[in-house]
Amino acid sequence: MLAVGALLHAKQLSRSPFEITTALIVPVVQATLAVYLFRAGGEPGRLLEAAVGAGLMGVWSSVLFGSGGAIQNQRWLGTLEMIMLAPRPPALVVLPITLATALTGTYAMVATLVWGRLLYGIPLDFARPLLFAVAVPGCILGLGMFGLLLASTFVLLRNANALTNTLEYPIWLVSGMLVPITALPAWTGPVAAVLPTTWGARAVREAATGSGPVWPSLGICLAISLACLALGALMMTHVERRARAAATLALA
Amino acid sequence: MTALLRLIGTGGVIAYRALFNWTTPAMFVGTLLVGPLFQLFFFAYLGRQLGVADDRFYIVGNAVLAASVACVFGGTMAVSNERRFGTLGHVLLSPRSRTAIFLGRALPYALNGLLIAVSTLTVSSLLLGLRIPVTALPGLLLMLAAAALACGFFGLTLGAIGLRFRDVWLVSNVAVALLLLLTGVNVPAAGLPAGLRAVGGVLPITHAAEGARRLVAGDGFGAAAPALAAELAIGLGYAILAAALLKLFETESRRQATLETV
Repeated sequence: MLAVGALLHAKQLSRSPFEITTALIVPVVQATLAVYLFRAGGEPGRLLEAAVGAGLMGVWSSVLFGSGGAIQNQRWLGTLEMIMLAPRPPALVVLPITLATALTGTYAMVATLVWGRLLYGIPLDFARPLLFAVAVPGCILGLGMFGLLLASTFVLLRNANALTNTLEYPIWLVSGMLVPITALPAWTGPVAAVLPTTWGARAVREAATGSGPVWPSLGICLAISLACLALGALMMTHVERRARAAATLALA
Repeated sequence: MTALLRLIGTGGVIAYRALFNWTTPAMFVGTLLVGPLFQLFFFAYLGRQLGVADDRFYIVGNAVLAASVACVFGGTMAVSNERRFGTLGHVLLSPRSRTAIFLGRALPYALNGLLIAVSTLTVSSLLLGLRIPVTALPGLLLMLAAAALACGFFGLTLGAIGLRFRDVWLVSNVAVALLLLLTGVNVPAAGLPAGLRAVGGVLPITHAAEGARRLVAGDGFGAAAPALAAELAIGLGYAILAAALLKLFETESRRQATLETV
């Protein structure tokens, strides 16, 4: 059910010119910006890291905006009641949507790597190609599960879309997707440590550059994501019951 | 003349209030005041780590750029939301000048952008320890106002495109991302290829950011005046372009009966 649901929603998202073009163009612009910044900073040897980082930023944006708006989008499409009527726990119905947003986020990763290779000649010399091929889907799965927590939290907020705009840069920053965490103030350390994005980004970067063992980071990312999934499922059930009782399911 | 100014001023304010009618102060603060701050911090820390430029470069540049999101999306929404909410036909049926109606709508967004830019500059300067000469403040305010106005008209131009194309949000999203790259706010202009620099030269923000940096560096208003003039000229150019596109697309939409269907 999760696989079919994720595929269905990924297909639906992939039919949207807005979603696809945004997932392709904006990360490419970010990647270009990162490449010029790294070049200006005299770090041409880290361009692969810049491209991978920009791709991860695109994945996070996709999850954030997709999962943040998952419930609201169903509400606008008029399909929320149908979904909630399904004889399955609500979390199982919504999780495929958030997984799909993470899946479509891979367009960003692919786009930034291809763009970097074709336009800037960045060699795609991954230090551990097989582990990179594992770390990226692992990170995406983790972010998809984290997305469920976002979706269930944001459903409580009337202006969730506005909040998603605020959360894009802080997570990019604190998770060390382009800026190393060590360059940030010390108080951001504990915040970074509890975010699956931090560990997912670290695992992908370690696989790409060989800067450390991949499995521990990936394992922590998935463990935190599973905790987010459990919390999100509980919250989703609570929210759904409350919305049914108050007859506010279709109301923003 | 008074009636025209009333149409521009009051009409713009009413449209602005309608746009923000459903939001809350907390969301306004979160999205428009806090969001740009995090963007600034992101690039300031990245710049520090890479040694591309000092904090002043990023703080001033990103503070000027902070006006862009509200102004570009606001200007876009000023037109495209009329279609979304089904009121476009009513506006276009008005016997008054639609050019004045829509150009007036850019003004509250420009004021909004100015507020955001000032707030971003103030808070980030306090947090990251940037000292701005007091004598530079009036010029800086002018520079931020010019940038906000230019961005508002730039957004209105994109909104006019929304009369013709359905996915105007796509255009706005890409435009905002391109402003990050091409305006020299985050990558020093010298680090960009000549082609990208040329494109940046006709975008809002570029000249204002350059002028603002000169002012904060203590170069005086005289040194920043050409940049201010360039930013104002670009704003005027986008205002004229927006008016022309609005007129053209309105005529085309009426002729092809595609006002609400494109």
